Amino acid sequence: MRYIQFTQPGYRGATSQRFGGRVAAIDSELDWLFGTALNGLAEGSPDSFPVDIYEDKENTYVRAEIPGVSREAVNVEYADGSLSINASRKVKTSEGEKDVALSRQVGIADQVQGDKVSAAYENGILTVTLPRKEEAKPRKINVSVN
Amino acid sequence: MSFLNTLIPARDGSQTANGAPAARRPRYEITESDAGYSLTVGLPGVSKEGLEITDEGGELTITGKRTAKLPEGLTVLHRESSDAAFRLVVTHDNEVDSEKIGAELKDGVLHVTLAKAESAKARKIAVA
Repeated sequence: MRYIQFTQPGYRGATSQRFGGRVAAIDSELDWLFGTALNGLAEGSPDSFPVDIYEDKENTYVRAEIPGVSREAVNVEYADGSLSINASRKVKTSEGEKDVALSRQVGIADQVQGDKVSAAYENGILTVTLPRKEEAKPRKINVSVN
Repeated sequence: MSFLNTLIPARDGSQTANGAPAARRPRYEITESDAGYSLTVGLPGVSKEGLEITDEGGELTITGKRTAKLPEGLTVLHRESSDAAFRLVVTHDNEVDSEKIGAELKDGVLHVTLAKAESAKARKIAVA
């Protein structure tokens, strides 16, 4: 039996109802079809994850949604303007537990102090802080007008 | 009784007037064992404070508000995530013991255990 894993919220209007086995089975099949088609793009495939990029004056921040991974299984690397986030998630299958690798690469446009990159993992969200190099920071220059 | 008769995800009619979803359904998985059901829900960015679980009238409702807020003054360069709350409604019949629903939230993943009521468990009947 296939359980629904990827579903699109709210595309059916009906309220909560209990269905018989047959109807529910058809329903889940449709859910599976449409869910995969719609969410496959929107939320990424099972081995990918959504990423946000923010910045302020000092840093660039990359936030990745990777719920349910252990901190030891998270690997963050920065090299030559590219940030790689690798993680693995344990997934239960009929044959036991299996490791699913998650991977994403993000290009960082600004000059980054590579040795000062830090990362924190909380509530399933990984936040990587990339401090900008001094020369890349906007500088305020006082010009005296005579 | 088949699994689908017992636990069926309810229709999520949570939509605002303009058609945009007010809440989105999280990724989840349900497994069944002899003792009960195990529900695993992915709720990234949801902390214990933002999580609400209710079980009423055969409907188990899980609502997770995203509490992971960013500091002020940030410029968004690229955005794929959403701040919309998560909402999952699962219907079940009285085969689940409401008193014995356990929940654990860790690293953005919620594990809910639903114990089968004694009356719903398979029983071996000895023939005299």
